[in-house]
Amino acid sequence: MTDLLQLILSGVALGMIYALLAFGYSITFSTSRTINFAQGEFLMLGALTGLTAAVTWKLGYAGALFASALVGCVLGVVLEKAAIAPALKTRSAVSWILATVALGIIARNAAERIWGTDDVRFPAPLGDEPLTFLGVRVLPQELLVIGAAAVIMSGVELFLRKSIWGKAVTAVAADKDAAALMGINVPLVITFSFVLSSSIAAVSGVLVAPLTLAGATMGTLLGTKAYAVAIVGGLQSGLGVLVGGLLLGLSEQFTARYVSTGYKDTPGFVLLILILLVKPSGLFGKKTIKKV
Amino acid sequence: MRSPSTRLFVLLAGALFGAQAFAADPIKIGVYGPFSGGSSPMGLSMRNGVRLAADEINAKGGILGRKIELVDRDDQAVNERGAQVMQDLVSNEKVAAVLGPINTGVALASYKYPMEAKVPLLINVSAGAPVNELFKDYPDNYVFRIAAGDPIQAEMIVSEGVDKKKFKKVALLCDDTNYGQNGRQKMEDALAARKITPVYVGKFKIKDTDMTAQLQEARKAGAEAILAYGIGPELAQIANGMQKLGWRVPMIGSWTLSMSNFIDAAGPNGDGATMPQTFIQRGATSPKAKKFIADYQKKFTVERIPSAVSAAQGYDSMYVLAQAIEQAGGTEGPKIKAALEDLKKPYVGVIATWAKPFSKTDHEAVHREQVLMGVVGKGEVQPPTK
Repeated sequence: MTDLLQLILSGVALGMIYALLAFGYSITFSTSRTINFAQGEFLMLGALTGLTAAVTWKLGYAGALFASALVGCVLGVVLEKAAIAPALKTRSAVSWILATVALGIIARNAAERIWGTDDVRFPAPLGDEPLTFLGVRVLPQELLVIGAAAVIMSGVELFLRKSIWGKAVTAVAADKDAAALMGINVPLVITFSFVLSSSIAAVSGVLVAPLTLAGATMGTLLGTKAYAVAIVGGLQSGLGVLVGGLLLGLSEQFTARYVSTGYKDTPGFVLLILILLVKPSGLFGKKTIKKV
Repeated sequence: MRSPSTRLFVLLAGALFGAQAFAADPIKIGVYGPFSGGSSPMGLSMRNGVRLAADEINAKGGILGRKIELVDRDDQAVNERGAQVMQDLVSNEKVAAVLGPINTGVALASYKYPMEAKVPLLINVSAGAPVNELFKDYPDNYVFRIAAGDPIQAEMIVSEGVDKKKFKKVALLCDDTNYGQNGRQKMEDALAARKITPVYVGKFKIKDTDMTAQLQEARKAGAEAILAYGIGPELAQIANGMQKLGWRVPMIGSWTLSMSNFIDAAGPNGDGATMPQTFIQRGATSPKAKKFIADYQKKFTVERIPSAVSAAQGYDSMYVLAQAIEQAGGTEGPKIKAALEDLKKPYVGVIATWAKPFSKTDHEAVHREQVLMGVVGKGEVQPPTK
């Protein structure tokens, strides 16, 4: 029983990390129908900037979170101006895919130059001593990740539904032309969605680094898995990516424990293929009719 | 009064002429390994060790009056990339010999090119690469090794756990690369020779960060010790995972437990991890080894060598190769190979004194007596206590 609870907890913590990154995909997809394939690299840049802020500049964990959010904002603007806006102008799908992938490669190489190629320990703000509940041992950082991810996701959902800015984002997501006619500055909203998505990715980096080690290659695999999560859950649904994330996180843990560690990633990707075959818009996605 | 341009011309001509007259073509030696990624502490330390040796040799006039020119290439620990790099070194750069690599998969993907081109490959880190096994298919074997191979390491790991510490139930945790799985096979063989079956055999991938499932299995199976085969970052996650689960059993594993990224990332959780080593910075006693450490620290401005084993093996491999080329009297592959197989002068190295390290039938320089068990403690590798 304790073993089971322990597995569930690890799976949830892992799933929340995936969900948080996938959430970033869904934000930009809803406004601009584009995805930042460098999301994993942005997470990595956030983590490494946070590490410099926390360890080298001695600003503490709060300083790390703030620094990474700042870097995320800057990255979001750069990404949108350099890779997305030109592609939206020419309506070319290939160009934004290639441009964001290229930006990711540049980010990774730059990080290797600046921070080196090694994986390093990120000091956990709440210590490394596990807490015990009902015989289950959990690291404080895991609780922090789960809590922070829940707060960030519900905060953003609330913001999108209640605030005037959020409603502008929702309006652009629903119908760009109508939103423009209603006086909404569509390009600005799109830029804003990229800033939001990139800073979430960068902050996630600081959240996960104490669990995963920080290094220039930490983001690539996470980015790929989060992408799968976004597809499984549905790119346009906040709830969808949360469920998708938990599904992948738990399936990895359970497969590793009860089937074989070698097949850990298999169920998640089999699910991905099945969803693409049966319900391409994702578990929670709305069917979109593309008018040609 | 000559014009400045005439003077420049005379100077240039002189330089060109001088270069031709004094320095014969340098001897090109290829060096390849991972200089980026999770294996980079090994790759960079090895390269630095080789550089240190090459610079010393060049300062004394080089080999056969010719300078050594190192051609180094990053294989990024990617197998295909290793094959490309090796083709480039052998076909385009036309190196006299090659030193490296680190990763088993890279070695497997690349050894056939030097074999075909008859260029000696002196493996100075990779433990999993086949060496003497190659004689079967290639009687004219151009692959040599100055490093403790997996059979020696696996035997020592099992011996440490089963013979010395008397554990009856052991769990194997190995990564899913060629290196990890090769090590797993060798450890299973060594256990089978003692009539022991591991209570659990687990696998993990490079970049895995959560080992909960594997460790739970091992705990449930009643393992008294973990025998691990992998590289630094993931081994650290095993140590950290044990701390998280509140289940700490001794960890004995591949020599990579001495990597800086294991020691740093595991912190106090890594203390007590035991691994076979050919060289321990903290335990260096010979004057040669002490000088090597001091020179390394000075040249590369570090206190702790990221992977001291790789650095020492890199250094010794360069010297052994230089001695072989000197003895061969030229840079033709077959001549160097013949010299390596019959090295006349013993070379006092950092790891050991190499008197006839290789023979026509044995291309492994390191044997059990050159390897000792190191233990992680106080943020570095400590020599064995008694």
